[in-house]
Amino acid sequence: MSTPSVEMGGDVSKGLIGGKRIAIIFFSVLAVMITWRIYQQLFAWDKGMDSFEPEFQIYWMNLLYAQWIAEFTIAAVLWGYLLKTRDKNVFNITPKEELKRYFTLLAWLFCYVWIVYWAASFFAEQDASWHQVTVRDTDFTPSHIVLFYGTMPCYILAGVGAFLYARTRLPQFAERISIPFVIAVVGPFMILPNVGLNEWGHTFWFMEELFSASLHWGFVVLGWTALALGGLLIQIVLRFIQLTKLDDEVLVTEDMND
Amino acid sequence: MSAVQSAITTAEQQHRIYKAFDLIVIPIVTLVIIGAFHIHFMLTAGDWDFWIDWKDRRWWVTVTPITLIFFPAALHYLLWTNFRLPIGATLSCAGLLVGEWMNRVFNFVGWAYFPLNMVVPAEIIPMALILDAILIISRSLTVTGIIGSMVWGIIFYPANWALIAPFHVPIEYNGTMMSVADLIGYNYVRTGTPEYIRIIEEGTLRTFGEDVTPVSAFFAGFISVFAYFTWIGFGKVLSSTKWVKRL
Repeated sequence: MSTPSVEMGGDVSKGLIGGKRIAIIFFSVLAVMITWRIYQQLFAWDKGMDSFEPEFQIYWMNLLYAQWIAEFTIAAVLWGYLLKTRDKNVFNITPKEELKRYFTLLAWLFCYVWIVYWAASFFAEQDASWHQVTVRDTDFTPSHIVLFYGTMPCYILAGVGAFLYARTRLPQFAERISIPFVIAVVGPFMILPNVGLNEWGHTFWFMEELFSASLHWGFVVLGWTALALGGLLIQIVLRFIQLTKLDDEVLVTEDMND
Repeated sequence: MSAVQSAITTAEQQHRIYKAFDLIVIPIVTLVIIGAFHIHFMLTAGDWDFWIDWKDRRWWVTVTPITLIFFPAALHYLLWTNFRLPIGATLSCAGLLVGEWMNRVFNFVGWAYFPLNMVVPAEIIPMALILDAILIISRSLTVTGIIGSMVWGIIFYPANWALIAPFHVPIEYNGTMMSVADLIGYNYVRTGTPEYIRIIEEGTLRTFGEDVTPVSAFFAGFISVFAYFTWIGFGKVLSSTKWVKRL
């Protein structure tokens, strides 16, 4: 992985975003999400209303188990790959190479937040609509299976992937640990364990659904942590300024006395 | 740190890189705001926002502006102090509406088959525009916090009045007076939201009837001022650029 890609020639400032890469990320995530949504449309009303029926086992519990197996496999492969192919000479890369890698990190972050949109916005509020259709007889309803055990692990895969990419490829992040980056990845990550509290509380207290119930505020506080991406953005911007300065420019740094 | 070598040599390259950076960062910021703000708002004021028969004079008017100002305030800190971008409130509120509409149309209507009239989200863009406009004019987070947040709370109900007024026309239904909103809630069965769970104004012996909306709106504005400054602080904490050697 220490092959500097810039030495292949060309102007470093061209094609940095990687339109193709972004398009692949955008459409693959979109395809997975739409597939889930269509699956729900097809089988939630017919096979997902009564969890004690054998059809529910076939159409919904099997989906859950398949998701779990897929997620654990992808996590092992993806995170393992990123760690295995880490740049062992990361402190000696050229500024051009570093710049390119920063844009790859941004592609990772794009993937992360694109899935976060589907998980935290689309499928999370979708759950509200399903709660109005059934009085649940299981913690694994058709919307919970997709939301909690489908989309949430997906953004965890991407978020931890982004963190590992930066940690293993970028000198700044390899040298020290960025607190906002940790918060922005670990906070949303913790929403998944918080499902445990949520389901425990619902099983214990009430079946009707007050969405603003204090039981749900764990999700809220952990959702706030996504704002830490703002801190990460500033860290990235400060480094970008250094990497893209011109000879006669006065640099603005975090500390002007720096 | 000035020892860092530059990756480029010409101003043209620099310009191209900055544009590329903008092009990829803007969607990232927008998407993460939609996701995070939506989950926050849905789980603090969502119930009032989901249903037309929850949009009352006391609770909806109070709860919505207060919890809605959290992200605009945090983004004001991040975007104004660091980038002089006065778009924090509009960006987050417009993002929230995108997220809500996507879900109401495709899921509440498209999956659970509630009528769109019943699940239309609250209108929040006017408040956001005013908050940002006050920030532009005053160039001060303090002034925005005190005046802007107050206005933010006060104009919430007027901004929505055109939207909800048709649902407050009274009707006689089986000998009982109901508003159209009540009737919609009565007709379209919600298994998880029985009537007793609905948190709306029910009257008290200390209420002077006709004043409920303005009193609630001023109260919401007043608390929004405090919420705004609290969230300026949160915005500051979360946009810190702290590095550590090890966790």
